[in-house]
Amino acid sequence: MSRKAQRNKRRKVSVPIASMGDIAFLLIIFFLVCSEVSKEKQNLKAKMPVSEHVDELEKTVAARVSIDQDGLIYLDGHLVENAKDVEWGVKALLANTVSDEQRHVLFKCDAQLPKEIFEPVLQAVAEAGGILQAVGTLPEN
Amino acid sequence: MRQKYSKEKKHRAGEIPTGSFSDIAFLLIIYFLVATTLLKVNTISADLPSGQKTPQARTDKTPTVKLNGPQILFNDKPVDLGELEARLAVLELAKAEGSKKVIMLESTSNTPYENYFHALAAISANGGVVALVEEDEK
Repeated sequence: MSRKAQRNKRRKVSVPIASMGDIAFLLIIFFLVCSEVSKEKQNLKAKMPVSEHVDELEKTVAARVSIDQDGLIYLDGHLVENAKDVEWGVKALLANTVSDEQRHVLFKCDAQLPKEIFEPVLQAVAEAGGILQAVGTLPEN
Repeated sequence: MRQKYSKEKKHRAGEIPTGSFSDIAFLLIIYFLVATTLLKVNTISADLPSGQKTPQARTDKTPTVKLNGPQILFNDKPVDLGELEARLAVLELAKAEGSKKVIMLESTSNTPYENYFHALAAISANGGVVALVEEDEK
């Protein structure tokens, strides 16, 4: 009995790690396929308006338009000069779309900007045929 | 001497060392996990019809929301945001079809985006289609 117990003690338990590398590479491939490189302007200086009507966006957007607190306009993270550039840019991005589901345009704008700055951009998105997805934040309770 | 050396070379096994592959892979996974930011944005959706401005485009029956700075006017009557939503709910825009869904949105030069956003949100939440009204060039 004591011999058997000793034999048991000596038994080495090895963890099978041969397939760990394969699993890890599969996970990497999964991340690469699922992730999307952000085209938005990073660190945008803008305070979004607050509304209880906002919902979480679950659609894929074709273009991203942002206006920061200084009134600078960005299309897919690139600075553009005016609303006309936004219209042409969004038109170009929507050129190959076939359904409404592909026409969503994400719009970020500072809450305090006056109409003269944001309205021409909204008009440009409308003229380009985009469906506006205006970003806001939920009120804090 | 040369013969011996060539024989040895033939027998040498050419194995690629794969022992550290899993470590490299896990390091890459950790990099992806650290570098990735999961963005969730909250938005309101508004389909803005495009078109040329014509005198016929605006009829007397089309409801109009006018933003004059902090003030909101619904069919030229001052209302607050809650009242605007109630008035829009009465119109049952979600059930309406075609041009009956359209709400004109007009604003003056001192209107901040926040107020504009609230009006857009109220119209969209009630199932309306927003038609932006440009100011006449003088």
